[in-house]
Amino acid sequence: MNNYEKAATGAVALMLVAAGAIFLYAPTDALQGPVQRIFYLHVSSAIAAFASFAVVLVGGIVYLWRESAAADRLARAGALVGVVFTTVTLVMGMLWAKPVWGVFWTWDARLTSTLVLWIIYAGYLLVRRLAEPGRQAARFAAVVGIFGFIDVPIVYFSVTWWRTFHPGPVIVTDALPAAMLGTFLLTMACTLVLGATMIAVRYRIEALLDARERVSEPGVVVKARGAEMGTEPVP
Amino acid sequence: MTYLVLAYAFGVAMLGGYLAWSLRHLRELERPKR
Repeated sequence: MNNYEKAATGAVALMLVAAGAIFLYAPTDALQGPVQRIFYLHVSSAIAAFASFAVVLVGGIVYLWRESAAADRLARAGALVGVVFTTVTLVMGMLWAKPVWGVFWTWDARLTSTLVLWIIYAGYLLVRRLAEPGRQAARFAAVVGIFGFIDVPIVYFSVTWWRTFHPGPVIVTDALPAAMLGTFLLTMACTLVLGATMIAVRYRIEALLDARERVSEPGVVVKARGAEMGTEPVP
Repeated sequence: MTYLVLAYAFGVAMLGGYLAWSLRHLRELERPKR
């Protein structure tokens, strides 16, 4: 078992602890019943997605500033993990909305801005996959990643800026009982650890893929072959 | 209750599936080439 697998095992163990708190410790909501327990992972996933997109933002800024390949790899890793968490947020939200609102989806400001966030970063990943790897693609992606982050505060404040179906902030307004708040904070911390582990694993994958890409470049192959044969590489 | 089960089943499948897939991908990439 390598270090990444050990970290992943630890993150999964933490998520099991969070699951124990969600299903065994947190009280059942008097109004909504058991379905309210969706809240814990739904909101934690949204926060993990925001944190992942913040990694894309920082990676993009550092890449444009220093042309650091490591920063570009970090941004790619953050975008993929962020899209995974946004997918979880959207689908769990839809499955919570159906029994509470009577519909899976409504074009509410919070839901729509979250869907836009998913589209921006899914587009980012699509550009990275389709474009020829190199400086141009990395610079373009960095710009998309930086400007895409503008949607994160829009998603967060959408419930206060516009009238929405979606409930307003409950954490900062002290609207949760202590047991629910404790369960939420534990789930959020465990989900952030899981997200950080996922980004670290993806970063390593991107680094290995970049190394393979470099080896498959014609000049590098000639150089490697020249060294192998004991001859000078062709300039 | 059905929606609660469906929501967590999706969450676990998505996050667990992604983590398992990426660890498998990493293991393949780190395997020394012959």
